[in-house]
Amino acid sequence: MNRMISRLSEQQNLWPWLLLLPLSAYLLVFFAVPLADVVQMSVTEPTLGLQNYEKVLTGSLYRKVFLNTFMTAGIVTLCCLFVGYPLAYLMAHTSRRNAMLILLLITMSFWTSFLVRTYAWMVLLGNNGPVIWLIQAMGFEEKPHLLFTRFSSTLAMVHILAPYMIMNIYSVMQKIDKSLILSAESMGARGASLFRHIYLPLTAPGIANGSVLVFVICLGFYVTPVLLGSPREQMAAGLIGHQIEEFLAFGLGSAMAIVLLGVTLVILGIYHRRFGLDKLWG
Amino acid sequence: MSSYLSLKGINKSYGDFVALDDVNLEIKKGEFVTFLGPSGSGKTTTLMIIAGFEKATRGEVEIEGLSLAGLDPQDRNIGIVFQNYALFPHKSAVENVYFPLQMRKVKRKEGMRRAEEMLELVGLKGFSHRHPKELSGGQQQRVALARALVFGPDLLLLDEPLGALDKNLREQMQIEIKRIQKKLGVTTIFVTHDQTEAMSMSDRIVIFSQGSIQQADAPLEIYHRPKTQFVADFIGESNLLAGKVVDAASGILSSPVLGDCTYSGDHQPAVENGQDVTIVLRPENLTISRDPIEGRMNGRMKIETIVNYGDNALVIGLSGGVPIRVRVLGADVVILSEGDECCFSWDEDAIFLVAE
Amino acid sequence: MNTLMRVIAYAVIIFIAAPLVIVVPMSLSTASSLQFPPPGYWLGYYASYFSDPGWLRPTWNSIVIASATTVLTMILVVPAAFALVRHKFWGKGVANLMLMMPMAVPHIVMAVGYYSVFGQMRLVHTHLGVILAHTCLSVPITFLVLSANLKGFDRTLERAARSLGASPLQTFGHVTLPILRPGLLISALFAFIQSFDETVVAIFISGRDAETLPRKMFDSIRQEADPVIAVISSLLFLIVAIALIAPHVVSALRGRFTTKGQEKALIAQ
Ligand SMILES: Nc1ncnc2c1ncn2[C@@H]1O[C@H](COP(=O)(O)OP(=O)(O)O)[C@@H](O)[C@H]1O
Ligand SMILES: [Mg+2]
Repeated sequence: MNRMISRLSEQQNLWPWLLLLPLSAYLLVFFAVPLADVVQMSVTEPTLGLQNYEKVLTGSLYRKVFLNTFMTAGIVTLCCLFVGYPLAYLMAHTSRRNAMLILLLITMSFWTSFLVRTYAWMVLLGNNGPVIWLIQAMGFEEKPHLLFTRFSSTLAMVHILAPYMIMNIYSVMQKIDKSLILSAESMGARGASLFRHIYLPLTAPGIANGSVLVFVICLGFYVTPVLLGSPREQMAAGLIGHQIEEFLAFGLGSAMAIVLLGVTLVILGIYHRRFGLDKLWG
Repeated sequence: MSSYLSLKGINKSYGDFVALDDVNLEIKKGEFVTFLGPSGSGKTTTLMIIAGFEKATRGEVEIEGLSLAGLDPQDRNIGIVFQNYALFPHKSAVENVYFPLQMRKVKRKEGMRRAEEMLELVGLKGFSHRHPKELSGGQQQRVALARALVFGPDLLLLDEPLGALDKNLREQMQIEIKRIQKKLGVTTIFVTHDQTEAMSMSDRIVIFSQGSIQQADAPLEIYHRPKTQFVADFIGESNLLAGKVVDAASGILSSPVLGDCTYSGDHQPAVENGQDVTIVLRPENLTISRDPIEGRMNGRMKIETIVNYGDNALVIGLSGGVPIRVRVLGADVVILSEGDECCFSWDEDAIFLVAE
Repeated sequence: MNTLMRVIAYAVIIFIAAPLVIVVPMSLSTASSLQFPPPGYWLGYYASYFSDPGWLRPTWNSIVIASATTVLTMILVVPAAFALVRHKFWGKGVANLMLMMPMAVPHIVMAVGYYSVFGQMRLVHTHLGVILAHTCLSVPITFLVLSANLKGFDRTLERAARSLGASPLQTFGHVTLPILRPGLLISALFAFIQSFDETVVAIFISGRDAETLPRKMFDSIRQEADPVIAVISSLLFLIVAIALIAPHVVSALRGRFTTKGQEKALIAQ
C-alpha cells in the first residue's frame, strides 16, 4: 500500500488528475449538464430556432426588464460605494478596538441570512413600521408608501451587498503604507488633492473588486427584488422565475437566463483578464 | 578509517538547469563536515538527495558501501534539522521528540522516557510539555536537534540550522551542537553560508560553488591553501593577482603588479615554467611602510581608502591600477592618510599559487 | 472632507445595524402583523415555532440537507484542493477556473437547469436532488477556503516526518491532517452555511417534501402572514451573533484569567 502510494506520487502527472477526477466528474454531471440543458431549452422550446432570443432581445417587456436590471445593479453598486468607502475609511483610521467593533458588526450582517435581512427591511419600512413612525413623529402628516417600491428593494440590496464593498476597500486601505501619505503631505499635498492623487488611486483596486462583485451579484439577484420590489419593475432573475413557475415558458426563461449568464461572464471575463478571478473573492 | 558515507558522481538537473554537477565526496564515520557556499550553490539539494527527498539525475549515495537508492526517506535512518526547525506545532516538545520513536514502534512509556532524556541532553529539562510556539528560537532549535538524534540516526544533517538566531545565541548553539555531536559521535553534515561558523565547528569543510565541490579539506588547509580562485576569494579576504611562473624549480614568478618575486615551494600546486597562475596574498600577510623594507619583497601603492574597524583597519590602495588590500593594526593606522604613496611588503611564504 | 466622511460613516453604521437590531424585539412582539412600536411583548410565537411542524420540518430538512452537502462537498473538494495546491501539471489553470464557475453563474440560471434536468431524473422534490445541487454550489467557496489553508501549510513538516521514519500514510495521519484540522473544519462550515442559506435553487426544486427553511421563509415573507417568521429570523440572527461574539468574550476572559494567574505567580516568587 505504502509502496503503491509512493510509486504513484513519483508519477507526478497521474496523481493530481486522479485526485481531481471525482470533483471533475461531479461538476460535469451536476453543473455542466444542467447548464447545457438551459442552453438547449433556449433554442428548442417550444420549437427549434432562435425565436426565444429574438423575443428576449427585442421584445419591449424584456428590454425594459434587462434595462431595469442593469440600472438597479448600477445604482446599488454606486450606493454601496458611497456607503462603503467612508466606513472603510473610518475603520482604517480609528482605534484598533473601534475598527474591531465595526468589523464585528459588518461580519454579523454579512453572515445573517439575507432572507432575515430582507425581512428586517420589510419590518423597518412597513406601513406600521419604525421609519413611518419616525416620519410621523417628526410631524409629517402624510404616510409615504415605502414598501414594494424600487426604493425599498434597492435599499435592502445595498444593505445586503455593502459588506462585500466595505471588506474589499478596507482590506486595501489597511495595507496602505502610512508613511506614503505622510511623505505626500510633506510634499505639499493637502485635503482634497491628497485624496484625489494619492488615496483614491491607492484604494482603486479595492473599489474595482468590490464594485465588480456587487454589480455581478446584483445582476442575478432573485430573492430581495421579488420580495421587496415593485411588481411592475421586475428584475431579470425575477422574470425568469416567473416565466418558469407561472407560465412554464421554459424556452423564454432559458433564453433570458443565458443572456443574463452571458453578461455576467463577460464582466467577470474582463475582470479575470485584468486582475485574475481568484483575487475577486479574496 | 575508511569512508562511511560516499557520494559518487552525483548530478542533478531541473530541466535544463544543472543544480549539481558531478559531486564526489567521502565522509568518515563520526566526522563533522560542513558544506559551505553561497546561496544557490547546491548545498540543500545535496542534503535532500542524501535524505532521499530528491532523486539524483545520476550518481549514487552509499552508506558503508550500500547504495541508498531503493530506500524511501523514512527507511534511511537519517536525522535532519531543518532551517525553520519544522517542529510539529500540534505536539509538545516531548511529543515531537517521541515521534520518531513512535514511528519505530517504541512503547509510549519507554519512548517518552528516552525523549525526556534527550531533551535533558540538549539542555531543555523542564520544557518538555511546552508547545513549539511557547518556546524561543534557541529552544525550538534544541528540540529539533533532540528529535533528530533521539532515534540514533546513522547520519545527522543540519541545513543552516542557526540562520534564524541572533549572534550571541548562534555562538552558544555552535558550541552546544559541537558538544552534543562529540558526545554521541554521530556522523554529521552541517550546512552554512557563514565561514566563521564553518571554520570553528568543522573537522572538514566542503566548499560548494555553482553545483560543484571546489575543495574539501580541513579548515586551516582551506584557509591557507585554497585550491581554486573561488575558494581563495570566498574564504577570508584575499588579493588575487595575475602572474606567470618563471622558474618552478627555484620558485620564481613574475607579475605585472608585484614584479619578479620568489615564493616558497612548500604546499604549492604543481606548476610548470611559463604557466599562468593566480597569486593569493592575504591582506593580513602584507605590511605597510613609508620605505621599502629590507629582507622582504616590496611593492608601491597609492592609498585610496582606509576603513577603520577599531582594533584594526583595512587599507585599500592602487598599484598599477590594481586594488591591493592590506590589513594593519589600529595603532599603525594613524600615520596613514588617504592619498599617501607608500610601500607594501610580504614574505616569500605569504604567497600561495592557484593554478586553474 | 474628513468630517463629512466621518458623519457619513456613522450614518452607515446605523444603516447597517438597524435591521439587525430590529429583528429580536420584533420576535417578542404580541402583534400578529408588522407593527411598530410593538403593542406588547411575549414569547408566544417562539412557542408556536417550536410546536409547528410546518416550521420544524423545513428546519430539520435544512439541517439534514446542509449536513449531507457538507460531507459530499468535503469528499470531493479535499482531494481536488490537494491536487491544485500541491502539484504542477498541465491544465491546472483551466481546472482552477472550472472549479470557480459555479460561483460565477447566477443561481437563478442554475435553478432553471436543475428544475428541468432533475425533473427528468425524478430528483425534484427530493432531499437528494437539493443535496446534489447544493454540493455543486458549495464547491467554489469551500475550495477557496481550504486551498488558502493548504497554501499556508509548511511542507517541510511533512519532510521532517518522513525523515523521522513516518511513511507517507503515517505522515498524512500524524502530521498533515491534525495540522490542517482547523482549516478543514472552517471550510466544512462554509459548505454548511452555503447550503443552509441557499434559497433560489431550493425554491425551484425542493418542493413540499424537501422544503428547506429558506424556502419556507421566502414563502412566508411573500404571504406576509405568519408572525413566526420573526421568531426564526431572530433565532438565525442570534446564532450568527453568538458565534461571532463568543470567541471574543472567551479570549477576553481567558486573557483576564491568565494575567491574574501570572500576577499570582509573580507574587509567589
Ligand atoms: N525544485 C527545483 N526546481 C528548479 N530549480 C531548483 C529546485 N530546487 C533547487 N533548485 C535550484 O538549484 C540550485 C541549488 O539550490 P540549493 O541546493 O537550494 O542551494 P543552497 O542550499 O546552496 O542555497 C538553486 O539555483 C535553485 O534555484
Ligand atoms: Mg539551502
